Amino acid sequence: MAGENALTTIDGDKKQYIVVKIGSEQYGIEISYIDNIVRMQSITRVPKAQEYFNGIINLRGEVLPVMSIRKRMGLQEDEFNNNTRIIILKIEDRGGLGIIVDQVKEVVELGPNEIDNYSPETKDERGDFIKGIGKNNNQLISLLDLYAIIDDKEGM
Amino acid sequence: MDVSQYLEIFIDETSEHIQNLSDCIMSLEQEPDNKDTINEIFRAAHSLKGMAGTMGFKRMQRLTHDMENVFQEVRSDKIKVNSAMIDILFQCLDAIEAYLDTVKETSNEGTEENEAIVNSLNAILNGGDPAAAAETPAAGQDSQAESANEEGADEGGFAMKFLKEPLSDEGKDALVAKESAGCKVYGMTVYIDKNCLLKSARAFLVFKAIEDLGNIIYYNPPSQDIEDEKFEFDFTIFVESEHEFEELAEAAKTVSEIEEVVGKQITSADFDKPAEAAKEEKKEAPAAAPAPATPAPAPAAKPAQAAKGGKGGKAATANKPVTSRTVRVDIEKLDTLMNQVSELIIAKNSIVSISNTEGDGTHSQSFAEQIEYLERITTSLHESVMKARMVPIESVVNKFPRMIRDLSKTLQKPMDLVMTGEDTELDRTVVDQIGDPLQHLLRNSADHGLEAPDVRAQRGKPETGRIFLNAYQEGNNVIIEVGDDGNGIDTQSVKEKAIERGIVTAEQAESLSQKEIIDFLFMPSFSMAKKISDISGRGVGLDVVKSNIEALGGDVEVKTTLGEGSKFIVRLPLTLAIIQALMVEIEDEKYAIPLGSIQNIENIEVDEVKYVQAKEVITVRGSVYPLIRLDEILDVERKDPEAEKNKTSLTVVIVRKGDNFAGLVVDKLMGQQEIVIKSMGDYINNNKMISGATILGDGEVALILDANTLM
Repeated sequence: MAGENALTTIDGDKKQYIVVKIGSEQYGIEISYIDNIVRMQSITRVPKAQEYFNGIINLRGEVLPVMSIRKRMGLQEDEFNNNTRIIILKIEDRGGLGIIVDQVKEVVELGPNEIDNYSPETKDERGDFIKGIGKNNNQLISLLDLYAIIDDKEGM
Repeated sequence: MDVSQYLEIFIDETSEHIQNLSDCIMSLEQEPDNKDTINEIFRAAHSLKGMAGTMGFKRMQRLTHDMENVFQEVRSDKIKVNSAMIDILFQCLDAIEAYLDTVKETSNEGTEENEAIVNSLNAILNGGDPAAAAETPAAGQDSQAESANEEGADEGGFAMKFLKEPLSDEGKDALVAKESAGCKVYGMTVYIDKNCLLKSARAFLVFKAIEDLGNIIYYNPPSQDIEDEKFEFDFTIFVESEHEFEELAEAAKTVSEIEEVVGKQITSADFDKPAEAAKEEKKEAPAAAPAPATPAPAPAAKPAQAAKGGKGGKAATANKPVTSRTVRVDIEKLDTLMNQVSELIIAKNSIVSISNTEGDGTHSQSFAEQIEYLERITTSLHESVMKARMVPIESVVNKFPRMIRDLSKTLQKPMDLVMTGEDTELDRTVVDQIGDPLQHLLRNSADHGLEAPDVRAQRGKPETGRIFLNAYQEGNNVIIEVGDDGNGIDTQSVKEKAIERGIVTAEQAESLSQKEIIDFLFMPSFSMAKKISDISGRGVGLDVVKSNIEALGGDVEVKTTLGEGSKFIVRLPLTLAIIQALMVEIEDEKYAIPLGSIQNIENIEVDEVKYVQAKEVITVRGSVYPLIRLDEILDVERKDPEAEKNKTSLTVVIVRKGDNFAGLVVDKLMGQQEIVIKSMGDYINNNKMISGATILGDGEVALILDANTLM
């Protein structure tokens, strides 16, 4: 999956992103926040949790919450298949958090001049979680704003 | 000189001494004439001084020294204890504690001289007895004078004990071998100052110093005993060296708190003729006891006494040191150990679950037996580790009497703190974190709870307010009650405040129960204090108390009667990590209910369920329990709702919290299991019904129900 880019050294301000597929679009997640990528496994439902949390999983003896990024962004329900992956994020001092994506595609490297600011014309739920658009070989990659995703306004 | 390895011992022991001093000064305030207390304080101050000196903390040493001086005078009835003096003594303690904190952070005592406190101490000395003050003009000189005094009182001599050393044959052989090789061999006995607190450290330093000059060929007591401080105040070394004995003795004496070093060149012949050795000793001793050592001043070795020999020395060493049977362990090591035990239990659980599912009678009898054996071992291993982590809450609560005393002065309300159950034990992690919440509650009682003395008098209460802290164990919980005999919570004014703040409307407020009103007090920034004081009233009190205690897996309850006082009941789990639980199933979801909260389990026919105020209840042996349908409150999706309705009997787990009971309806019981509690992190909201998660034998995750919040 990882393209040849993954092995080259990062020049200057370039950052590496993992490209994932959610629905029909491609999203990028900064690699420094990613702890692990695991296959789909059985998830225990947590009653009364926020609606977009599927539940918790056992990752090698650690209990981690798992979020459906689809539900978080207001898309239709996940359909789990062989390509479905859980991306384990470690954000600062907070514990691990898994997010479910449809497919993990590749690793890309993007410099500041390859990223456009994202200014949504229509503010919808999905737009809240995007902090920029990356351009890589004619592909557009929406870069996820992880802080917005974990920032839980409605739940409090 | 490297003493850093003793820093931790120093920190621990100093904290103990400070606490001891604090307790003693408190009781001294009550009974200013109690000789035992005065002596105890003197001893503690003296020990502190000694330890600070050993570690080279000069400022701390000076302060404790002056404190000791004051008590020297109190002890000899030259000064009377008064309230002003107690205040200064407490200031001293605070200053020493500040030194200790600096030491903890930087391994250094810092530069705070605490001149003011030293001056006040000296003022006490001068004011108390000018004659005595004249004798103690400056700290430095005084130290010597006083040491000299102690020296005089001490009848101990310095015998050449090494000559009586019961040398083994190998020892003698070694000696002969060195002799025949033309080396000079010296025997020496090193005496450590009797007030020395870190004997083994001193001995270690002496060994190091001497090893620089020669080869140590024999020493007594053995190194293990020296390390464990299992020796009197002297030890014997045989050393082979090309230097003169005086050089060796000087080197040994550069170590502080070494009182004397006696010795001479020896030959193997010395050990063949013990009688002669004794004679020899008499002749030799005065010459071998040289000039006074710097750190232990003014001994001048009293040559005559030294010559008198072994008798005095023996008398002085008659008291066997009390060897402590404990070790200090870094809490992190215990945490690691606990985690490993948790992993082991998870692994054990999966073996158990494999043997249960794949068994089908194919496994041999002995396999099952071994599994049972393994279960017993892991359970008792867990218990042992848990016990190792338990400490009495004493270390936290014993600072409270002092705090209440200070509060009493600041608030100008007379009050007493009565504590019981200080020896109640809790997990170390819980104990470390329970201090602040308890302190909050006590301050609350002192500030808001107790009325002013004149009000109390009007209400016919004793003027001195009573604050209490009771701790005791109840099942798998530890209960700590904090309360007072003051005004109690005025629910009416809490209600008004809640309305004023727009938390509830006036109509809603009318229908609130007393408990619901009291719950307002635990809301963030809901302060009842009319004016903001230093002590409390900034609205950061009770909500923090509540969240701290809940973070530890506990809860707080309030009982109050207006005009008679209030009581905060803090309930804490005995252990944080591993519990026994009953596993239950609802549809296909698995939940764990902590065994500690389970009263019993009943099978109830559906038609026995009655309704009280439209709520389901059951009656078991004359008691009425409200029924909680877990599938409903946990939003479990029923695959076959029809079958559910047609059920004729219910499995009910009856849980209790304090005096409250409730029946939880479950589908199936899966049995009892030891479970490891895992946190779910802070991303998921769960309404507090779920206290955590656990990993089952098959790797699946099950949720742990918090029976307390279900009610």
